[in-house]
Amino acid sequence: MSAIDDYINAIMKKGVEEAREDGSAATEAHHLLLAIAAHEGTAAHRVLTEAGLGRQAIRDALDREFEHSLGAAGVSLSSFRLPPPSRDPDRRLKVGASAGLALERGFSACGGKKDLRPAHLLLGVLDTEIGTVPRALSLAGVRRVDLMARVRETLASETW
Amino acid sequence: MPAEDVPLPQDPADALAAVAALRRLADQLEDSAVEQAMRAGWSWPDVAEALGITRQAVHKKHAKRLIAAGVTLRRRH
Repeated sequence: MSAIDDYINAIMKKGVEEAREDGSAATEAHHLLLAIAAHEGTAAHRVLTEAGLGRQAIRDALDREFEHSLGAAGVSLSSFRLPPPSRDPDRRLKVGASAGLALERGFSACGGKKDLRPAHLLLGVLDTEIGTVPRALSLAGVRRVDLMARVRETLASETW
Repeated sequence: MPAEDVPLPQDPADALAAVAALRRLADQLEDSAVEQAMRAGWSWPDVAEALGITRQAVHKKHAKRLIAAGVTLRRRH
């Protein structure tokens, strides 16, 4: 198996873990972003880290986005005090629509699978103005287009 | 803030994100509330009736994780 296959498998596996931790029924694009941020040794990881987007910072931004979106409907998360539910560690999760789109966009950001690198996957996750990821980045004060430009720069100058 | 004081978000992106977040919150609350009820000795038919869904649906969605968590499940209330 090639290095990019190993990387994609690792990201999907970590994405599932992130989704489980969330109590989500599917792995979504923001879970892939968390996974990319947690996987060291790639240009994608470095770009995120340099932008102040370590795994925990992204988690915090996603939590803020959740609270902010609920707030738009007049709902406060702090109003609910039920205990956290038990999780099924063996639950099979689907690949959510947003993760599917992110992967498609990542694949189409490169010339062909032979050229696919981690930074392409990050581009795929970032390449939308709609949904949880761009909203969370905006709330964190990060300019998504600048981040994408930085990722593209690394693609031109770095091999992995 | 009372719900009647909250205007609908003007930006469609905010309104749609609110829908997605409310669905997610509802799922989280369902997981917590069903577990709380089953730990308190409720039956599947009673939980299903309270949620307005079928007993089969609630069982399919929650039984495995509650068994894995060691919750004693009752068939009847």
